[in-house]
Amino acid sequence: MSYITRTLGNIRRIGLKEYWHQLQYIGDTKAGTLVGVDKFGNKYYENNEELPLRTRWVDYKMHDFDPAQIEPMWHFWISYGTDTIPDKDPIKKIAEARSWATPHHVPNYTLTRGAYKPYNTVLPKIKAWEPVAAPRQ
Amino acid sequence: MLSSSARTGASLLRAKPTTTALVVPYARVAVANISQSSRSEKPASALTPQHGGGLAKLPRREVPLPSQEGTKGVVQYALTTLDQITNWARQSSLWPMTFGLACCAVEMMHLSTPRYDQDRLGIIFRASPRQSDVMIVAGTLTNKMAPALRQVYDQMPEPRWVISMGSCANGGGYYHYSYSVVRGCDRIVPVDVYVPGCPPTSEALMYGIFQLQRKMRNTKITRMWYRK
Repeated sequence: MSYITRTLGNIRRIGLKEYWHQLQYIGDTKAGTLVGVDKFGNKYYENNEELPLRTRWVDYKMHDFDPAQIEPMWHFWISYGTDTIPDKDPIKKIAEARSWATPHHVPNYTLTRGAYKPYNTVLPKIKAWEPVAAPRQ
Repeated sequence: MLSSSARTGASLLRAKPTTTALVVPYARVAVANISQSSRSEKPASALTPQHGGGLAKLPRREVPLPSQEGTKGVVQYALTTLDQITNWARQSSLWPMTFGLACCAVEMMHLSTPRYDQDRLGIIFRASPRQSDVMIVAGTLTNKMAPALRQVYDQMPEPRWVISMGSCANGGGYYHYSYSVVRGCDRIVPVDVYVPGCPPTSEALMYGIFQLQRKMRNTKITRMWYRK
């Protein structure tokens, strides 16, 4: 539903700067209410007049964005699992009280220094040959 | 009361969580590039006795990754722009070579159906390796199929990428101890992205494709050439 009047109307609502920003990241012009901001700084928007399954979207904080940067409860909201945003959800208090869980959401560290690197913890099954060069006479 | 005491007992038993590695905000972890990663400085012919692996006791040395080095000078800025244009052209409309081998292929097919709709990303499955950019190895790679996989990979034009999809392609998976299965398709072809799962969902494969696009975006083509 990307006809020209919708785009123009949305530009009028959000302004040219935001229009350019959205064109770089979403590839569409959308206007909605800012529902919340998570700990990372990702902004979540909602507009129920859009087509189904396009009503909720996220504006990532980082330029090098990645869907794994969305926090779990916000992920549940943006995937239409619930209608209550995490800030108002009573489960959030329970989730934050879990001492055994990591306090922050861990994003995907692939392609960064923090990427997971497996290493061996067992004894090597093969003994390497130690080369011995006889000294020249 | 019982539950609370059990909880305290459990907390006493538990080691203090080492959160240092986890707390690091991802903004601070600079983007690295896997494709131009470690290359040993010593020539391969050097006679070095290898004490059978084990845990290395080398002193820790922080070397900036290729991606962490900033752009300096006019030439590098110009080449960065060139790279960005090339990467932008590369990362959209990937044409994958379908190498469906097992049940993962069904999930790969779901990616092209209207629900996940890969066509909106410009991804069209090609039957010919000579017209494709990415090979998605989906499923168990058997010893019998391995030469064919390598041949198809060799027929693909440069630049080419490989996505290994599913446990079997990643490392043998369920059939790791089978006599007839290759323990990971990275023994045959160089793999860019590993998608875990048995089988991975279509979303997972799509996320893998996004990760591959991210990798392409961070590739330094002309800058590495200029450095040489």
